[in-house]
Amino acid sequence: MSAEAIFPPASSVASCLRPKTRVYSSLQEQSLIGIDLHETVKWLLNISNFTMGSLYRSEEMCLAQLYLQSEAAFACVSELGELGLVQFRDLNPNVNAFLRKFVHDVRRCDEMERKLRFLERELNKDNIPVDDDGDVPLAPLPREMIELEGKFEKLESDMKEVNGNQEALRKNFLELSELKQILKKTQGFFEEATMYQTEHTGFAPELEEDSSRAGDLSRGPFTKLGFVAGVILREKMLAFERVLWRACRGNVFLRHAEMEVPLVDPYTGDKVNKCVFIIFFQGDQLKNRVKKICEGFRATLYPCPESPQERREIAVGVTTRLEDLQTVLNQTEDHRRIVLSQVAHNIRVWFIKVRKIKAIYDTLNLFNVNIAEKCLIAECWCPVADLEKIQGALRHATETSGSSVPSILQVMKSDESPPTYNRTNAFTYGFETLIDAFGVANYREVNPTPFTIISFPFLFAVMFGDLGHGFLMLMFSLYMLYYQRYFLRNKTDNEIWEMMFGGRYLILLMGLFSMYTGFLYNECFSISVNVFGSAWNVSADPGWDTEYLKSQTSLMVDPGKPGVFRGSTLPYPNSTGNPYPYGIDPIWQLASNKITFLNSYKMKGAVILGFVQMMFGLILALNNHLYFKNYLSLFCEWIPQIIFLLCVIGYLVILIFYKWAVWSAADSSQAPSLLIGLINMFMFTAPSQTADTVVFSGQAGLQQGLQIFIVLLAVFCIPWMLFTKPVIIYYRNKQKQATAGYGEVHTSVNGISDRADILAHDELNINHESELDSSSESEKHEEEEFEMGQFMIIQVIHTIEYCLSCISHTASYLRLWALSLAHSELSQVLWTMVMSIGLKEPGALGVVMSFLLFWVFSSLTVGILLIMEGLSAFLHALRLHWVEFQSKFYKGEGYMFSPFSFHVIVEGKSEE
Amino acid sequence: MGSFDLSEIFYNVDSGYLEGLIRGFKNGILRQEDYRHLTQCDTLEDLKLHLQGTDYGNFLANEPSPLTVSVIDDKLREKLVAEFEYIRNHSYKELGVFLDFIKYSYMIDNIILLITGTLHQRQLSELLTKCHPLGTFDQMETVTIATNTADLYNAILVDSPLAPFFKECISEEDLNEMNIEIIRNTLYKAYLEAFYDWCKEKGGATADVMCEILAFEADRRSIIITINSFGTELTKEDRAKLYPRRGKLYPDGLIELARADDYETVKRIAEYYADYRPLFDGTGNGPGDKTLEDKFFEHEVTFSTTLLSYIYWAMAFL
Repeated sequence: MSAEAIFPPASSVASCLRPKTRVYSSLQEQSLIGIDLHETVKWLLNISNFTMGSLYRSEEMCLAQLYLQSEAAFACVSELGELGLVQFRDLNPNVNAFLRKFVHDVRRCDEMERKLRFLERELNKDNIPVDDDGDVPLAPLPREMIELEGKFEKLESDMKEVNGNQEALRKNFLELSELKQILKKTQGFFEEATMYQTEHTGFAPELEEDSSRAGDLSRGPFTKLGFVAGVILREKMLAFERVLWRACRGNVFLRHAEMEVPLVDPYTGDKVNKCVFIIFFQGDQLKNRVKKICEGFRATLYPCPESPQERREIAVGVTTRLEDLQTVLNQTEDHRRIVLSQVAHNIRVWFIKVRKIKAIYDTLNLFNVNIAEKCLIAECWCPVADLEKIQGALRHATETSGSSVPSILQVMKSDESPPTYNRTNAFTYGFETLIDAFGVANYREVNPTPFTIISFPFLFAVMFGDLGHGFLMLMFSLYMLYYQRYFLRNKTDNEIWEMMFGGRYLILLMGLFSMYTGFLYNECFSISVNVFGSAWNVSADPGWDTEYLKSQTSLMVDPGKPGVFRGSTLPYPNSTGNPYPYGIDPIWQLASNKITFLNSYKMKGAVILGFVQMMFGLILALNNHLYFKNYLSLFCEWIPQIIFLLCVIGYLVILIFYKWAVWSAADSSQAPSLLIGLINMFMFTAPSQTADTVVFSGQAGLQQGLQIFIVLLAVFCIPWMLFTKPVIIYYRNKQKQATAGYGEVHTSVNGISDRADILAHDELNINHESELDSSSESEKHEEEEFEMGQFMIIQVIHTIEYCLSCISHTASYLRLWALSLAHSELSQVLWTMVMSIGLKEPGALGVVMSFLLFWVFSSLTVGILLIMEGLSAFLHALRLHWVEFQSKFYKGEGYMFSPFSFHVIVEGKSEE
Repeated sequence: MGSFDLSEIFYNVDSGYLEGLIRGFKNGILRQEDYRHLTQCDTLEDLKLHLQGTDYGNFLANEPSPLTVSVIDDKLREKLVAEFEYIRNHSYKELGVFLDFIKYSYMIDNIILLITGTLHQRQLSELLTKCHPLGTFDQMETVTIATNTADLYNAILVDSPLAPFFKECISEEDLNEMNIEIIRNTLYKAYLEAFYDWCKEKGGATADVMCEILAFEADRRSIIITINSFGTELTKEDRAKLYPRRGKLYPDGLIELARADDYETVKRIAEYYADYRPLFDGTGNGPGDKTLEDKFFEHEVTFSTTLLSYIYWAMAFL
């Protein structure tokens, strides 16, 4: 039965889904510059209503029990694998891998995989590319498996036979070509010998053929020399020569010559370099010795006749035989190629099929087998929203397998905490990974990912604010997005690249936000751009005429003087009389106190941003408490926490805004010092004009009263956080013990602390609990007391941590200012010390220097500012999210939902 | 530790990669639990299946189905040799020398195997399959041409790394069983002494650990040689020459051993040494009893494990 027959289109729920996904992917292809518009829109729709399927809370999960008819089980699991929405639990954790039911089938799959790997190696040996048409076949049915097995078996034996033949032929070929080489090379040796002979007649020894006829050496003991000729690996030649010399005490004469053409090793197919040698010696004993040494060095000896005529004859014979052999070899090669090209066409599909079957059997091994009712029982976690899809898949599988009894899915109740499942898409995936790297969210806990999508690039950009650098980053991310289909198909092993590519949408947003903050800071490669026209007017000062301005190197521009600031009467630059409309006035680029001005501005900005983010974190915590109906924590922890934060930092933030609003540029010299004011507030020092701490001018008394109230309120929150919750829990426990006995209390405590058994089987839990129940009551009571002590200690730690963290986390947000300062300073240094040198130089030299320095400037910009600074800003933004933001509400102690999905298995992401 | 030692600064440059590798290999060793599972296996296929979950997962993956013990043995050895050679190729300076020392003992075994084999008229190709691949060297296969030790040294081994160990056993005598045994033991003695001295010279953890192991090995050889020599034509003087002089028995114990005539005497001598006394207790040649060699082996394993954990402990504090 073909795949179409098994899955008639639009006949069932499961197959209905498939065409839809195809439409969706074609939409993707059409979208502009490859950005998944569709995905983004979908995500935006999701985030607008915090319902199911959004990232706000993880998917609602349920534990379900499946009763699968044994004949339908395979098809069911196959369908579920295609769906990829259920996570099976191991119901036989105590059974060894090799004692499970379907071990035999798994082994068959192993064997098939081995054969496929063998064929793949053969393909690689011949450099035949594997056809990849991107087609992913469905898992075949068990009866097809037998067919596949037979096919592979046949192919393997065919291949082995071809290989064997080829090896034998190649070996023959090698021997013949070696012999040919010997005949050719020895020719040279013998010619030399005859020349020698003619020169010294009477002394020259008569050469005699050896090898096959050893006996005739006795004819002339001193005048006749024996010889052997052979071939040896080039790298062994030196050692061979040396051993030969030593072992025969210099009584042999060796000549050797290198073969020009490397030969092919018949077994491995590699090219090997060899040497031809000929050894002359005298006497039988030496001959044996030489032969043994040759054997020891794995040299091959060949018979070589003495007379030139015989040699020529043999040579001719060898050449013709070589030619014949070559044709035969070519034929086998062609045959092999035909077999392999067949394999190359199908091997990818086969691999996928076999892997799918193996995955199915591995999954079936997790199930309980009920022999009496001929069914398999499985337990799995699945998203509640997808129950219908799963049931549809099961129905479909039952139909196709022809089973009469339907497979049943039954939702179970479970005390275990379910896995966390957040549906992501290409856009949100990168952000979700950042959060999961810290810790997987608890089940149904507020997930910081949707907020991180905006806040992370923004905090990054605050530290990385530069229009030019942001633009380069944006271009890089657009490059990745434009070619993303290509990159997705061609995976590399480069982990750093994979990481960057995975975060391509993150980099896109980081680039965009950096451009935005760069615009705010008015910095483009550290240079300000005068977009709207500066609000400062230097010529407003009557004393400053052109002559005076020329004579001075630096001037103090006082905003207090009328007309200098916001007082421009000229049509240009800024005739509105308003401050610079957006961002920093470009005039600050020229000011010597630019850093002092920006420091104060950015520091305050950092504190405000920090306060806002931490407050937001607390609001999310409120959401958590309300959702989990944890009113105890809400009233005993959350309310004092938020009061504390508002009192300590919130007051400061209000003061910052107040100061900005009340004191203008003209009277800024009388503005109060907020830092000293804050310190004095905690020391209960009265605000005074002399210390510059009066914020509400003329109402110092009222200010002091307010501040004392705020501090006392904050201090009051500490015992509130510390004691109320443990005390209430203690009394509740006492009450329960008095009324309901011990068992229930114990399990509830167990539910909190006992998380290790999540994957264990239910039976284990039952055993565990019954054991505990049987233990004596007094013991339990002691345990309860102990738990109380521990609880108190934890509460103390949490309280201290929270109070300190309000201060330290706010201080920590100052890194926003510090890094932004460092970034702008570095880029300014790069500009003034490198690029502007070239630009300042006049004439032709200036042109050349500018050209050369540009390369230095640009490479340093990319290397230091973009990559290094970018990484550091990234890490700090990450820290601000992980530590400062998430500590307010995020537990991150859940575990990931890892569904059984063919998609993952086929891609080879997780090899079991 | 304590003193300011510059060499530690470059530790990671020289050996950091290998240390990581070794730690990985160590973690890959089968655990007690794995062995417990393995005891439940009925067939070699079961074994293969179980091993798939461990670091030994892939070494049998490409073998066709009817597995045999020899295939497993070969594959395991292949894995060991590949890992060893990899480490050797990446090792630096002294570590290279150290690893070479380890290879020398395999070389000695191989030479002796080849010579004995030739004496018994075995085929070279058959012998070569029995040689340990860690102990191969260029000239190894030609040792079969030698008929006496002088020949063996002058013609073949003079170039090999074993040459320095061979000096003591050069003689014009023809090779025979007895001679080969003597060569083996003399070679081993020279090898152990050289290795011991080298380790001692290096000092530090190398000396602490390796000298212990080598000293034990030396003592074991001395005792076993003595016991095995009873009833053979080996003279006491010749026997004394075979004792490696680096163990705990040296010098007093070895002098005593040289004089020993029977098993009881050896046992009495060993009783003076706390380490060896328990080894002689309860040994026997009965079917249920453990032989002395077993006991030695057991002792070696336990104290090597202790030393190994000592190394890891020491490394953790470096």
